[in-house]
Parts: sequence; structure tokens; C-alpha cells
Amino acid sequence: MMREESTLEARDVHAGYRQEDVIEGLSIKIAPGDFIGIVGPNGSGKTSFLRSLSRALKPRKGVVLLSGDDVYRTPARAVARVLAVVPQDPTMSFDFCALEIVLMGRNPHLGRLQAAGQRDLEIARLAMERSNVWHLADRTLSELSGGERQRVVIAQALTQSPKLLLLDEPTQHLDIQHQLALLELLSEMTEEGLSCVMVMHDINLAAQYCREIVMIKGGREFARGTPVDVITAANIMDIFRVDSIVTKHPVTGKPSITFLPGVQAHEDVGIRVHLICGGASGAPLMRELLERGFYVTAGVLNAGDSDAEVGEALEIRMVTEAPFSRISDRAHAANVELIRAADAVVVTEVQVGSGNLKNLEAALEALESGKKVVLLSPHTIDERDFTGGKATGLYGELISRGAVEVTEEEAVFSLIKSDLAGDENGRSDKARR
Amino acid sequence: MEVSRAAVKGTQAVPRVLFELRRRRSIVLLALGACLILVFVLGVALGPVNVPVSSSVKIILNRLPLIGRLVTGGWTHAQEAIIVSVRLPRVLLALLVGMGLALAGAVFQALFRNPMADPSIIGSSQGAALGATIAFFIGIQARWRGLSLVPLFAFAGAMLAVFVVYSIARRGGRVSVPSLLLVGIAMSSFLAAIVTTLMVISEDRMHSIFFWLMGGIGAASWMHVLTVVPFILIGAVVCILLGRDLNIMSLGEERAGQLGLGVEKFKWAMIATASLVVGAAVSVSGLIGFVGLITPHIVRQLTGPDHRYLIPGSLLGGGLFLVLADLLARTVISPSELPVGVVTAFFGAPFFIYLLKRRGKGID
Repeated sequence: MMREESTLEARDVHAGYRQEDVIEGLSIKIAPGDFIGIVGPNGSGKTSFLRSLSRALKPRKGVVLLSGDDVYRTPARAVARVLAVVPQDPTMSFDFCALEIVLMGRNPHLGRLQAAGQRDLEIARLAMERSNVWHLADRTLSELSGGERQRVVIAQALTQSPKLLLLDEPTQHLDIQHQLALLELLSEMTEEGLSCVMVMHDINLAAQYCREIVMIKGGREFARGTPVDVITAANIMDIFRVDSIVTKHPVTGKPSITFLPGVQAHEDVGIRVHLICGGASGAPLMRELLERGFYVTAGVLNAGDSDAEVGEALEIRMVTEAPFSRISDRAHAANVELIRAADAVVVTEVQVGSGNLKNLEAALEALESGKKVVLLSPHTIDERDFTGGKATGLYGELISRGAVEVTEEEAVFSLIKSDLAGDENGRSDKARR
Repeated sequence: MEVSRAAVKGTQAVPRVLFELRRRRSIVLLALGACLILVFVLGVALGPVNVPVSSSVKIILNRLPLIGRLVTGGWTHAQEAIIVSVRLPRVLLALLVGMGLALAGAVFQALFRNPMADPSIIGSSQGAALGATIAFFIGIQARWRGLSLVPLFAFAGAMLAVFVVYSIARRGGRVSVPSLLLVGIAMSSFLAAIVTTLMVISEDRMHSIFFWLMGGIGAASWMHVLTVVPFILIGAVVCILLGRDLNIMSLGEERAGQLGLGVEKFKWAMIATASLVVGAAVSVSGLIGFVGLITPHIVRQLTGPDHRYLIPGSLLGGGLFLVLADLLARTVISPSELPVGVVTAFFGAPFFIYLLKRRGKGID
């Protein structure tokens, strides 16, 4: 059979978790030899986009086509023969040795009962040499450092002999020497016809190596083009809220970015908001606040709660408690710490039981220490009070001590912004709507 | 031999690493097998009436096809009767049940990426117990070509219990240790309550159901052995053949999919296989805990996590563990005996706590 060209195309993909869309209408087209870097701030949907390309997060709308076929209707095996993925944080529950892990990459090419043969071993060895882990072949994963583990997973993906390679921040655990070695390797392989799509935090490195850059903000495409066209001080200001100087690198001719101190990343409005939420009551607000440039924290949430999951996807700083457990003193103390650092606390329409009642006490403490506290639709508390009235009592106290009542999420943003941006320690008048 | 052949091919480096691994693992399996044979013979020879080991071996060999004719003389009729109709079926049943439970444990641990999974912890055994109790309760005596239908009821119960526990405990594609344990415990208590209710209602059979549930293989007969053999055998063969897929599955569902495994189909095929094995084991021996937890754990320390070795190792280790536990159960307080489930719990519960403690120190 002739070797056919493999292309990957996403058309108007919308995808997310639970009810929240994290990406809203992204498209991309990847041809053989492409080297595309995806950049954007935390929570912009980069990883989710990569997952939806790799058959792991089914789009709610739009399609992902691998050489013309919908990947979600193609068997995993057929996809894995041409498309390999390097996940962001490969966790391993069991302690395989490096060579065993790498050999698993041959799986899509082997018959169900077929053992790896001499040729498969040879492919695995080459991949391990290329990513510089061959000398670690007989070590178990627990004996390896984070960077070594990362390179083993890269070798595993290369062992799939893919035509397309998707990498999610492949350089994050690597030291600079290995970062460069990896990017050189990928660059070399794309010249041989491999297509690479890479999510990158380091814009400088992305600018040096990628031939095309896609900038993402808020789940949508912000800019796309060659590094020279896209990586500009204006764009960086727009999506990262960071001042920078972009110059042409004297040797490579690629854009080179120097970041300027003074403006803190992710804090364009310079306001930090802490959310007290849970059970999907806070997820929409997290997204909105982030997009509006607030720095968002949340807690205490039970791990696995849908708000905790969305928060994790958006890379928000959170305090979490074990699933189904009541808030421990330790979690509560950590939460109070986060609140102390925040400018305002927003309490969503969360159901309150004895397990999370402490969160309301934390809000009361915040109020007493002069923080702004906003209550979303406090009048509904009696419907979501499962503490036999304690929660309702605390709400009453919060209101009487100056917490602001608001019935629409829209009002939250303007309220916090206007009050805090104008008057630094401002405890505001009650704004009712 | 192996080494020199590889050297000729010129890629000696790759096979050397694997060759070393395989050699070490094969030695572990051989050693486990040897221990198992030893314990098996002791299990047959020891009891209220001790039969000399040499005679026991001869009696067993005499019953085997082909070589049976070559072994003659040297034992009494009474000894032969004890061994053939009492000890042998009992030890064989312990062996098979131990194998089945350890196999199911190893499979669940890979599927849930969770070294704490065990048929008795995640509700599968209780589900099987309920299925079997219902079968006893409505008085199913039906047999199909001599095979009892009770294991099929137990299978259905086990399958259903795992399905429910898994669906509840799964959050965002992951089954976390605490939620799996909590949901499993809740489910087990719920199912146990139903079993107890049924038991009380059926006064006349209460006593026998109770003893069966306690994890007894004291009433073992050749019929029991024949009932479970096919299920355990099928389960063992399927899991050994799919060892490589289990390896990939143990990397997590998302990663397994990226490496080309049809995750959903495979997962349910494995849950069905494990449930079949648990159903068979529980229907003849009641609730015997911890075999499925401890065995794969210890074997994994010896063979490493590769399921092509871990599964055979767990089969051998599970058999070894339960034959030994049964031997203790009927000898420590002789002439009366303990239910074997009590003995496994004596070893298993502290081990389980030890694992929880170790996890707490931040390995995961």
C-alpha cells in the first residue's frame, strides 16, 4: 500500500466539560510537515483543544477530521497508527520500566495476540535514542525524574511511528538543554514530513521553532500566522496582559520577546476575586471573571465537584477537600489564607449543608476584615439551606454587616471593578438591583 | 542460546534488557509454581487423619491419566478414600477459588488504575452473593448438562454491582481511590442487608446459607470443583491472552485510547470476565475477602506490573494463598475448623491497613 498523506482538520469545534464550553469555535488545518504552536493564557482552552483533536474530548459542535474521516467515528487503533499524543502530565499508577512503556507505543501496529518483534524493538530503540532515554531503558518510572519521564513518554509517542504528533507543553519538566534538544528533534522530524501541533507556554521557544502560531484567548482564536506576524507586543499585551518588547533576533531573524516588569500577568484589572461556590454554581462565573482579567481563586470545594473540575481545567488556584468529606480545619485555614489575599469574595447560589457551612463563616470573617463580599441571589438561600437554618442565619448576618446583594452575574463584574479600582480600601454602599 | 542468537542479529542491546526482565519474571513464576505444588501436597496430606506425604503423592499420581498405571501400592483403602473423596476436592476447590479471586483482583486493579480494588471491596463479591442467594432462595436446582446455574445468577449479581459502583464512583473519567472505596462499601452493606433479609425469610435454609456466606469450602465436593473449573479456566485464558491490553489500560483510559485501545469495549469485556470468575468463586465458596487484594499486590512486587506475567503470577499466588489459608483453617483449632474467609481476613485486613498507611505517605 502506498503511504498516503495524513492531514488533521478541525472545523468550528465547540467543546468543554459538563455544561461549560471551554472552547468556542476553533478551527485548524494541519498538513504534512507543519509545525504549529498554540499559545494563550491559562484557561484559554489550549489543552482542551488538543484533547478534542486527539479523540479524547468529543466536540459538542463541529468536527475533527483525520484524512477526511471523523476521528470520533474511527476506531482508536486506526487513529493511533497515524496520530500520537504526548500528554501534559503523564501519571503512571504502576511501575513499568522505561522500555516497557515505550514498547506500548507499538500497540496499534500489533495484532491483538502478536508479540513485539525484532522490528518493533528496533523502532523503540531508535525512538529512545532520539529522545535521549535509551540509557534509562531498564529503569522503572519511579526511579526517573520528571523530565526523564516526560522524555520516555515522548519516545512512546514516537514509537507509534505517527504522521501527526500532538504535544501538550512537552517542555515543561525539561531543563533548557533538553528543551532545545526536543525542539530541534521535532523541527528535524517535521522536515521529514511529520506534522506537529504543540501547546506551549514559552512564547520565545514557540517563536523560534514553530512555523505557524495560533493564539487562543477565551476559547476562541485570537490571531494566527507566522511567528513574525503574530508575535507582537500588541498581541502579547492583548492576550497575556503583559508589557513586552519584541525584537528581531539578530541570528535567527525570528521574533524575540523581552518581558517588562511592572504589569503582573493575569491581573490586568489588578483585582483578585475569591469564589465560594460548588455544584456547578460557580463555573460560569469563573470563566467570565478570568476573561475580564480578574485573578480568580476558589474554595473550599470537594475534589470531583463540577466546579472543582471546571476550576482545574481553567487552572484556577483552589482549596479542595476530599470527595464527600466535610471541610477540615486544614482546608478551612488554607481557604482563609486565599481569602486574605483576595480583594473581594463572591458567594454563588451554592447549596449549603453542614459539610460546607464553614465557607460562609469564612465569608463572614472576610467581611469583618474589611473585604468586599458579594452574595448572588441571597433570597434563594432558604431553598438551598440544608443546615436547618444555620446557613440562612449566616446570610442574614452577612447582609446586616454590609455584604452586597446581587441577582445577576453581570452585576458582579461592574460592582467589584468600579468599587475597587476607584477606591482602594473601599467598602462600598449597598448596591441593590 | 537466547543471548547468542540475539547477538548475531546485531541488536543485542534491546533484547538484553527485555531478556533480563523476562528471565527474572519467569523464575518468579517457576518458584511460585513450585511452592504451589508443595502446599498442594501438604494440603492433601495433612488433616485430622494424617496421610504420609509419600502415600498422598502416590495416590494423586495414581489418579492421573497415562502415568497413573506406573504408580502402584503403598497405601490403604481408607487413606485412598479420605484423599480422593474428601481432601482432593477440597484442596482443588481452594486452589480454583483462590485463583479466580486473585485474577479478578488483578483485572479490577488494572481497570480502575487502583491498587486498592478487590472483588470484596468494590461490591462485586456481595453482588455475586446476592445473585447466588436469590438462586438458593427460589430453589434453583436446574442444571444444564450437569452444571449448576447458581454461578450464572452470581455472575449477573457481580456484574450489576460493579456497574453501579463504577458509574457512581467515576467522576470526569477517573475513579479516585476514596470514592471507589466509599461507594463500594456502601454498595456492599446495602447488598449484604438484602442477603440477610432473604436469609431470615428462608428459615429452613438459613443455617446453610449462613455457613456458605462465611466463606467455607468445608463441604467441597467434586461437583463443586467441576462447576467452577470452566469459568476459572476461561477467565484465566482470556486475561492471559489480553495481558498486553491490560498493560495499556493500566495507563488510564484516555492514554489507552491514544495508544489505540478500544477502551469502552475492552473495559466491559474485562468487567464481564472478572464478574464471571467472581460469580463462580462466590457461588461455591461464599465471601472470601482480601485474596484478590493481597495476591496481585505481592506478585506485582515480584514480577513487575506487566500483566502477561502478573496474571499468571496472580493465578498461582491466589491458589497458593487460599490452599494455605484453608490448611490453617482446618488445622489450627482441630478438630473443629474456621471458615477460610476468617483466616484470609486475619492476614488481609492488616495488610489492607498497611497499604492505606503507605499510600498516605504520598506515593500516589
